[in-house]
Amino acid sequence: MTTTTAALPHNTTSRFAVSARALLFMLRARALLVLLALLVLFSILAPSFLTANNLSILAKHVAISAILAIGMTFVILTGGIDLSVGSVAGLAGMVIGYLLTEGVKIGETIHYPSVFIAIVITIIVCMLVGVLNGSLIAKAGVAPFIATLGTLYVARGTALLISGGKTFPNLAGMPSRGNTGFPAFGQSFLLGLPLPVWMMLVLFAIATLVAVRTPLGRQVYAIGGNQRAAVLLGIKVARVKIFTYIASAFCAALVGLVIASQLEAAHPATGESFELNAIAAVVLGGTSLMGGRGSIAGTLIGACVIGVLSDGLVMLGTSEFWQMVIKGTVIVLAVAIDQLQARVQARFLPILLQARTEAE
Amino acid sequence: MHVTRRAFFSVGMGTVLSVSACHREKVSRPLMVIVVPSLDNPFFRAEASTAVALAGSLGYRVRVDAHDDDAYRQDNLIDSAIASNAATIILDNAGADSSIAAVQRATRKSIPCFLMDREIAVEGIAKAQIIADNDQGARIVATEFARGLGPDGGEYAELLGRESDTNAQVRTRGFHAVLDEQKNLVRVAAQSANWSQSEAFQKAETILQAHRNLRGIIAGNDAMALGAMAAVKSAGQTGIVITGFDGSPEAIAAIRAGDLRATTLQPAVAIARLAVNEADRFLKTGSTDKTERQLIPCDLVTRTNAGEYGEFEKVR
Repeated sequence: MTTTTAALPHNTTSRFAVSARALLFMLRARALLVLLALLVLFSILAPSFLTANNLSILAKHVAISAILAIGMTFVILTGGIDLSVGSVAGLAGMVIGYLLTEGVKIGETIHYPSVFIAIVITIIVCMLVGVLNGSLIAKAGVAPFIATLGTLYVARGTALLISGGKTFPNLAGMPSRGNTGFPAFGQSFLLGLPLPVWMMLVLFAIATLVAVRTPLGRQVYAIGGNQRAAVLLGIKVARVKIFTYIASAFCAALVGLVIASQLEAAHPATGESFELNAIAAVVLGGTSLMGGRGSIAGTLIGACVIGVLSDGLVMLGTSEFWQMVIKGTVIVLAVAIDQLQARVQARFLPILLQARTEAE
Repeated sequence: MHVTRRAFFSVGMGTVLSVSACHREKVSRPLMVIVVPSLDNPFFRAEASTAVALAGSLGYRVRVDAHDDDAYRQDNLIDSAIASNAATIILDNAGADSSIAAVQRATRKSIPCFLMDREIAVEGIAKAQIIADNDQGARIVATEFARGLGPDGGEYAELLGRESDTNAQVRTRGFHAVLDEQKNLVRVAAQSANWSQSEAFQKAETILQAHRNLRGIIAGNDAMALGAMAAVKSAGQTGIVITGFDGSPEAIAAIRAGDLRATTLQPAVAIARLAVNEADRFLKTGSTDKTERQLIPCDLVTRTNAGEYGEFEKVR
């Protein structure tokens, strides 16, 4: 290849390099471009799409899949997958529902934990599922797909067992029990933005810092890039992997709590197929399912694409069936373009390098 | 999905012990297999637990399964009922057309099938079809919905159930038979929320943004109505008329509080009792003495009569 490009006259090479660079940029920023295109499209087609109120609600809907997807990104970066997040979100709702409406029986008396304690207990329970996932995968050597498929069923079954299949209503609590205030978790506003959106932003900031600036983040990438090399480098692979699954379960717990709080009710089937939305957001954001390549920022954009797409289509009154077809098409196209990018990059990289050396 | 089975079994086992103590029978008691769509939905739970309790007290061994509205899963459950030599099957089926073959197969193996709540599209196979009249139920709640919107009418949105389910289709047809007659009512949005409260919450939030003049939301079941109610509350809007369908205790509580306008109560308890009693009579006498198709009307529940209803039955 270098021989053919070397034969080209000087100015052709640099012009070629400029357009190649532009093409590469567009392919890299594809999710962002799709997002912008969707925003423009829906703003034109649906008059009330671009109102502050709607954008705030849209952000709240995006937060649900973005929070799940941020945790999922770490897992996928190590080359794993976490199918259990939807069930864990359902489990979180049922645990907090039980704690707030049934309480904890110690001896003969029933104690109702305060909302803060109940939230902490719920998150701990869910993180234990993450510990289980991580241990099964990193210590027992079970394939991530299978291990988390197993915990998907276990967590869902447990969620159903907690109430015997019933919904826990009235999660607003009672003053006499000292457990009021849970609805604020998902419904309150801070500086004009819904609280779940803040959770998403804070998680995003922390996750980006961890991924880019800490040894832990670099180890996550290293494991996904080449696990054997990571082991030889002395990275504690098992510990890092377990961390990623705990992070994912933590995010799932937050989502379950937010939904239960918004509805002031907990239904054991909540969160079904959420894992697929989260995985789609991660992949749309350019993270490779093989691990080692991707970013938290990409994931956030991916979640925005999915959120904007589904809310926009609802506003336009598109039928559920078409929504499914369109969503599926967007996901498949995104991954196809991802492959195209890899190939274009391999094709043009030598030209770009040559153009740079010639410029010098 | 089979979580409550253990609870049902313990009820059943209690009766097993007492019955066998009285009769000291050597022959194992006949098996009644009860198949319902799900056990995490309050309506089907009420239906299943009523059927289990009654069947147990009539001296049957009982097994409860859920098909999750999946006709293929239902098929497997019917096969396993045939393999276990069930004396009879009480079925709340997974689809009017997709369930015919399964009922046919059981009937050929001389296991009489009794359908409750939902019908199948053919007659002459099942021994009885005790059907909650969804069409009539949809019409009465739609009439109340239109009354709630008042003589001026206005824009409304519809939340549909899973659109591949027979009942989602029957209910929306019933709604429109009434609402389309009223020229001043305009349906500005229709979305499926797949019977789910959280999905209905998100979709209703978006619909409320797209349509500022929305005056009502008619929902295909109570869970979706409660989700829409939460969305209206979260948007800080008042005066939006919301109706549900099913008559769940949560919906009735919301009607009493004035947050929901109305719902349709399907008498699940009465339907389950009828199905089990007719199956029992058929097994003992060879006939139900009734016509196959029996339509059970639904009740409209509003603020004025909400106090008269308990868990899927009229208590006063």
